Amino acid sequence: MHPTTQLSPLHRADGSATYTSNGYTIIGAVNGPIEVQRRDELPTEATLEVNVRPAVGVGSPRERHLETLLHGALRSVVLTESLPRSLVQITLQVSGMPSEEGDCGVSSSLSILPHLLHTALLALLSASIPLSTILTAALVVIPSSSSTPLVSPTANQLLRAKPIRSAHVFAFSGDGSLLMNESDGVFSLQEWDEAVEATEEVCCKEEGGVGLSEGMEVDGREGGSLDTWLREVVRGKVNWEMRWKTAR
Amino acid sequence: MASTTEAAHPASLSLPRPIFAAVSPHPFLQAHLSASKSRQRANGRTAHEFRAPLVNTGSLTHCNGSAVVRLGNTSVVCGVRGELLKAEDAQGYTYTPPSNGDNDDTEEDDLEEERKELSTLRLLVPNVELSTGSTPAYIPGNAPSSTAQTLLTRLHSLLHSTSLIRARDLRITYTPPSFSDPSVPVEEQEQADDELKAYWTLYIDIFFISIDGSAFDAAWLALLAALQNTRLPAASWDPDFETVLCDDDPKKARALALRGLPVPASFAVFEGRGDWDESGDDKDVEDSWVLSDPDAFEEGVCREAVCLVVDCGGTGKRGSATDAVVRRVEKNGGAVVGRGEMRSLVMRAAERWEAVKKALASV
Repeated sequence: MHPTTQLSPLHRADGSATYTSNGYTIIGAVNGPIEVQRRDELPTEATLEVNVRPAVGVGSPRERHLETLLHGALRSVVLTESLPRSLVQITLQVSGMPSEEGDCGVSSSLSILPHLLHTALLALLSASIPLSTILTAALVVIPSSSSTPLVSPTANQLLRAKPIRSAHVFAFSGDGSLLMNESDGVFSLQEWDEAVEATEEVCCKEEGGVGLSEGMEVDGREGGSLDTWLREVVRGKVNWEMRWKTAR
Repeated sequence: MASTTEAAHPASLSLPRPIFAAVSPHPFLQAHLSASKSRQRANGRTAHEFRAPLVNTGSLTHCNGSAVVRLGNTSVVCGVRGELLKAEDAQGYTYTPPSNGDNDDTEEDDLEEERKELSTLRLLVPNVELSTGSTPAYIPGNAPSSTAQTLLTRLHSLLHSTSLIRARDLRITYTPPSFSDPSVPVEEQEQADDELKAYWTLYIDIFFISIDGSAFDAAWLALLAALQNTRLPAASWDPDFETVLCDDDPKKARALALRGLPVPASFAVFEGRGDWDESGDDKDVEDSWVLSDPDAFEEGVCREAVCLVVDCGGTGKRGSATDAVVRRVEKNGGAVVGRGEMRSLVMRAAERWEAVKKALASV
């Protein structure tokens, strides 16, 4: 199942996106380029600020950790050099989580990370911040009962797959290189390799390629990788923006 | 060609070394790394060289366990203090004594259960504090910075995901005497279930005296050394007083039996830039170096960082990447380290594991 998304639902922010996938609902907003506080100003590039707001309560060290992770990943995607001495502010509000989230056996910061990354990227796209590439991410878990990795499982599937041996989040750039990885649990390098491969398949498999998983195309248009999905979203956005030109 | 660069350098390097480093850090490090002969980093180490950890344990007298760890100029103090949590105050989790006796739990289900016990009752409370002046980025008097909070989250989640501390070591149980026939041997009288009376809560305080890169490695090593050093007094339930009494005989205090020895290794990826060299020498531009155990200067210059936590203790062969058990991978900020590079990094982390094991064993 591909995530559902809507670009620019908030009219006051420079860019925004809502995102729903696997029970997670996140609203992202981007303001930028705006004026930066002198303390945070960088002379040659834009400062990125990421704020993660949890669904319940106020931010905790866990959210600060997520912000640091997102900051690192997004900094390698945003062309910060093209906006020197400015600020790009990204706010991500988690508004819905699956109810089984608490006891699915995977650290909650891992399970939410791909969704936060996608939302941030969509909001950046909506704000037309220059990006060097796109980014797709997915969670993959290896249950201890079987060695076949489960890619982007729902919370319910996780609950059934318990106990879980290791959990990984991989993020790939548009050209298929590994941008980010968070792995946790007990695993060998070989298992890690298999997990990367499985995630690569879901994230950035070329459309029309002879993929092994023909089963994915069962739901009709839901076929294809996350990369294809993201490109489709961008195509939709560009079509909407260019409608005054193409309507003739 | 070499002679022209040799001739060009004295003119362009008329600034003193520290000023060159401060004014243009990236070319400074690249000049060091791409120098044809030495290939040394600015701090004199080679790219694969870690700093040797200096470990000193038992320095704090008021703690149950403590350690000071130095990695170059990064120095950390860690103190572990145990406090009693009474069973009636431990809410949210009910302990059920295992029915099959006290076998050495290695089953995944039991680990999962233990993890739940430790995390819902919050029996492990790490805290990270940066001292004033430990790093230039830290402004004293504010709320804990996001650096400190990130470090804390990483330590906390690693502590739980590796199941380093056994829940068994933290439980204080009481076996009610059975008033059965005294002629029955003692082993058979132990039919009454253990009653859980209290828990040890471990407050693990990590204090950075100074930070010069690889803060997480240093903090985790300090935590490991302090936990290895921890002696909890023998505590028992006294049915007459209805309270937990601790024995003040240090000989009866027992150490924690830690599960494995997960050791972190941090790497920073330095990407060479082509445009720095005015001599037009673009022979080895777009090179990248993976630097082991980066210091603060290198962390400031490098964008991509990798942190691997490995534990080679459970496997037979040593130092081989295929056998090392990886406990955690954190990689962020760039795309240089892919699948091929990760293999060599695991190898380097496994070598680091050996060195750290020796350093921790020698204290």
